[in-house]
Amino acid sequence: MSQLAAFIDKKRQTKPILSMTHVVYGYPTVQESLDWMARLMKEGVDFIEVQFPFSDPVADGPSIVAACHKALEQTLDVETCLAQLGKLAKDFPESRIVLMSYLNPMYRFGLEKFAKRASEENILGLILPDLPIEQAVDYRAACEKYQIDPVWLVTPVTPKDRLAMLASQANGFLYCVARSGVTGHSVHEDKAHENNHHTTSLDNYLAEIKQHANAPIGVGFGLRERAQIEQLIGKADIAILGSALLDAYNRGGQEEGIKLINALFH
Amino acid sequence: MKSENGFYGQFGGSYIPEILYSSQQQILTAFEEAKNDPTFLAELHKQWQQFSGRPTPLTYCENLTNHFGGAQIYLKREDLNHSGAHKMNNVIGQGLLVKRMGKTRVIAETGAGQHGIATALVAARLGLECTIYMGAKDIERQYPNVFWMKQLGATVVPVTTGAQTLRDALDEALRDWSSSHEDSHYLIGTSCGCAPFPEMVAFFQSVIGDEVREQSMAQFGQFPDRLYACVGGGSNACGLFLPFLDDKDVEMVGVEAGGKGLELGEHSIRLSHNLGQPGIAQGFATMFLQDQAGQLQETHSIAAGLDYVGVSPIIAHLAETGRIKMTYAMDDEVIAACTLLLKKEGIIPALESSHALAGAFKDAPNLPKDSKIVINLSGRGDKDIFNVAKAVQDETFPQFLTDYLASYPTNHVDNKEQNA
Repeated sequence: MSQLAAFIDKKRQTKPILSMTHVVYGYPTVQESLDWMARLMKEGVDFIEVQFPFSDPVADGPSIVAACHKALEQTLDVETCLAQLGKLAKDFPESRIVLMSYLNPMYRFGLEKFAKRASEENILGLILPDLPIEQAVDYRAACEKYQIDPVWLVTPVTPKDRLAMLASQANGFLYCVARSGVTGHSVHEDKAHENNHHTTSLDNYLAEIKQHANAPIGVGFGLRERAQIEQLIGKADIAILGSALLDAYNRGGQEEGIKLINALFH
Repeated sequence: MKSENGFYGQFGGSYIPEILYSSQQQILTAFEEAKNDPTFLAELHKQWQQFSGRPTPLTYCENLTNHFGGAQIYLKREDLNHSGAHKMNNVIGQGLLVKRMGKTRVIAETGAGQHGIATALVAARLGLECTIYMGAKDIERQYPNVFWMKQLGATVVPVTTGAQTLRDALDEALRDWSSSHEDSHYLIGTSCGCAPFPEMVAFFQSVIGDEVREQSMAQFGQFPDRLYACVGGGSNACGLFLPFLDDKDVEMVGVEAGGKGLELGEHSIRLSHNLGQPGIAQGFATMFLQDQAGQLQETHSIAAGLDYVGVSPIIAHLAETGRIKMTYAMDDEVIAACTLLLKKEGIIPALESSHALAGAFKDAPNLPKDSKIVINLSGRGDKDIFNVAKAVQDETFPQFLTDYLASYPTNHVDNKEQNA
């Protein structure tokens, strides 16, 4: 069994749903982002999802895009980031780290080296939203070799046979995008069809996934209220908190962020 | 040019967020069926002819030929398309495909605004809702085009993230499409993006080269010895070059924007001179201008339409295999070439197309007198009136602007009311 899935299974013995909180590496500065990650882990979040910024994050909404661009006003280095995350992993053994980025920075770094170094730094999962599984033969082989889980995404509009295929390939956890669109609040939200937001359709979607997936299920995109988290209990294993947490952090720093997490998960 | 599963050598492919998978599959299928459907093709040719004025002429330039004393110079007159550029060939094609797929809305990105206007024109004609993403800085620089898009009924959305130019507009169009894919089509303006966009745009643009094949045989009894096209995204170059790909004696030269200099940020040279590096972003693999860490970088050209950080995977592949020779022209050479065409032939070229002219003019004197070259005049230059006036330091223009502004009514009607 994958280390990631094993950790989730163990934690789930005592918790109805696990928390994964997202942080943009380097926002607003490298040190402040590392302090924020340490604080989150100290507060007992189950996972941090660290996003290594890319200049053109097409799957992200305005909050995360702005944070990535702000972070990139500094020169950010993948190797340094991995080493710093490795130290956090050691300091906070009760939580786990998942690393997310876009393909190009990691392609330039070297996908095999990326899998190897991330694994060496005790990062358990990797998310690259613009790398479809069909184009990922070498990357999957590297992840297999270095015992780190590539995390695949499924969406409410993923065709059923493809959903079954992706679910069957998932080991660590399967990332289920809750609705159409990009992360967080965006001007594009009203263009997505209503039924994507509908309670029963999310339930049906998660039930459909459960039929095919052996791996745990994480749900993200647009989560910002306690009722949404409660709705996921019993249907998913991890609730992923991204833009909402960043928005809270932007409003009132770490304290405001922690307040949101407590309101949602405790 | 047919791809291998979306790839051209090491370039191309589909690197898109999972949410877009179904929409992309739908386009793949729809395009595959449409391009083999005689009814669709007949409608396409009819619209090209009746709406855009095709075929465009192949114009012999006697004065320029004598001026350089070398190759016989011909221009493929894409500037005579409706809307003043080759962009029309593609938007008509994709517009018809949108109707065929039963979608009701189109999204497009635009840099200079040419593709934005072309999309807005076709959307108006086909009764489609239309949203154009344009960098806030480009909106400032190209307001006349924005004005026409709005008058045509399109919604123009300023993109204020990043450098606020074409690259950011493309990102934002992709984000819209991620939300609106069920009823919207992303009408990409050049032969870039995920499969099948490069192949599809190249297919619709290949009417340029197809016509040149017939016209060159009719007008001078052979295929051209050399073809020249400017390369921004690469769609006009694909259009002229691809129909000649198997004619090994036909040489092809692509001209990129050298801008102000060869420092990163001063130019848009992705292929010549080893300035770009392989990368995967915005849905596809190609040569991108990027830093060591894989972050995409700013670009510059006097021609906003060439100011793109990546390039068509088809052109990148053909340049890598040596089938196309790539070169570049600097901003000042481009203005000189533009001015020469104005004076010698009475044709006003777009600054984008003037790159192809500049590239060809460098070679023309050294080519044999009986050789024939065809330069793709991809667009007309009326849109560049402000930039050209500034570049040639026209003395009267600032006074004209001041006087015009003084007489402009100040209690203007809000645009929304006007459109209502």
